[in-house]
Amino acid sequence: MSCGPFDVRDYALGELSVPERGQVESHAATCANCATELERLRVTQAMLLSVPDEEPPQRIGFISDKVFEPSAARRFWNGFWQSGARLGFASAAMLSTALVIFALHRPVEKATPAPMATIASHEAAHDYTLEIRQAVADAVQQTESRDAKRAASLLAAAEQKHELEHKELLLAVQDTVSVMQKRMNRMTLASNDLSHDLGAPR
Amino acid sequence: MIFRAVEDADLILKTRRGDVKAYNLLISRWEKRVFNYLLRIVGSREDAFDLSQDVFLKAYQNIRKLEDAGRFAPWLFRIAHNEAFSQFRKRRLEAESTDAEMVERERAAERVYPIEDALAVSSALNRLTADQKEAVVLKIYQGFKFEEMAEILEVPVSTIKSRLYTALDLLKVELAPMKTRGAL
Repeated sequence: MSCGPFDVRDYALGELSVPERGQVESHAATCANCATELERLRVTQAMLLSVPDEEPPQRIGFISDKVFEPSAARRFWNGFWQSGARLGFASAAMLSTALVIFALHRPVEKATPAPMATIASHEAAHDYTLEIRQAVADAVQQTESRDAKRAASLLAAAEQKHELEHKELLLAVQDTVSVMQKRMNRMTLASNDLSHDLGAPR
Repeated sequence: MIFRAVEDADLILKTRRGDVKAYNLLISRWEKRVFNYLLRIVGSREDAFDLSQDVFLKAYQNIRKLEDAGRFAPWLFRIAHNEAFSQFRKRRLEAESTDAEMVERERAAERVYPIEDALAVSSALNRLTADQKEAVVLKIYQGFKFEEMAEILEVPVSTIKSRLYTALDLLKVELAPMKTRGAL
C-alpha cells in the first residue's frame, strides 16, 4: 500500500514515532502516489470525525446503599490483601514476632537436636550418674574400711588391757593365796607348838 | 495525560475501598466515551445508554480484579465490547425483529448525527462488517493504539490491522463522492 519506508496508513492512524513520521513525510514529498494516498486517508478520517460525539441522555451515577456496601472490616480486609507492600510488611512483622517469641520461650532441655547428639547427650548423662554412684560407693567403702580398722584397733587394745588386768588379778590372787598359805602354815606351826607344850611333862 | 491517569488510578483505589462518590466521579470522566462507543456500535441511543449503565455496573462489581489501574481504559472498553456483542447475540437468537423495529432502529441511527454527514457516515459504516466497524470506532473515534485494541478485542495486532486497513479502503470509496459533492 506504500512504497515508502513505512505504511502510510500507520502514519495516518498515528501509530508511528516522530522519527518514523519524519521519514514518511520526506518520502511523500517526493512520491505522488503516497501523497495522494495520504490525502485520501486524511479526508476519510476528517469525514468520519465530522460527526461529533453525542452527550449521553442523562448522567450515570450510583447511589451509595449501606446494605450493599462492604463493612469497614471487610474493606480493611480486602484492602489488606490487595496491598502487596502491606502484606509483605505484615509477613515480615509476623516472622519477626515469631522469632522473638521463639528466642524468649525456647525450651532448652526439650530441644531436639540431631538424633546422634541426643544419643550422645543421654550417654553422657548416663556416664555421669555411674561415676557419681561409683564415687559414693568408693567413699562408703573407704569409710566402712576406716571404721572397721578403728574398731579392730580399739578391740585389740581392749583385749590387751583386759588381758593385762586379768594377769594382774591372777598375780594378786596368787599373792593372796601365798599369804594365806603362809598364815595357815604359821598357825599350824603355832598350834603344834601349843599342843606340845600342853602334853609334855613339866 | 499523565495527570489524568494518576487521578483515575486514585479514584480506582478509592472505589476499591467502597467509595461510591469516587466511582461516580470516575464514571463522569468516561461515560461520554463509553456511551459514544456503544452508540456507534449498536446505533441506538436507548440501547447505548442502557448498555453504558450495565458496563459501569459490571466495572464496579469487578474493579478489584483490575490488576493495573493504568490499564483501566482498555479494561473498561473490553467490558463495553462484551456487553455490546452479548446484546447482538441475544438479538440474533431472538430473531424477532419486525420490519417496524428495523425502520425505527434506522431512524434512531439517523437521528444520532447531523443530517447529511450523519447519513453518509452512517451508511458507510453500516456497509462494514461488525468487526471492521468496531475497529474503526476504537481507532478513529476513541483513539486507541493497536496494542490496546488488541487487548480490548482479544485478537492479535495483525488482525486489528487487517480489519482496519480493509475498513479504511472501503470507507475511502464510500465517503469520497460525498466529499466531492461538499466541495462542489
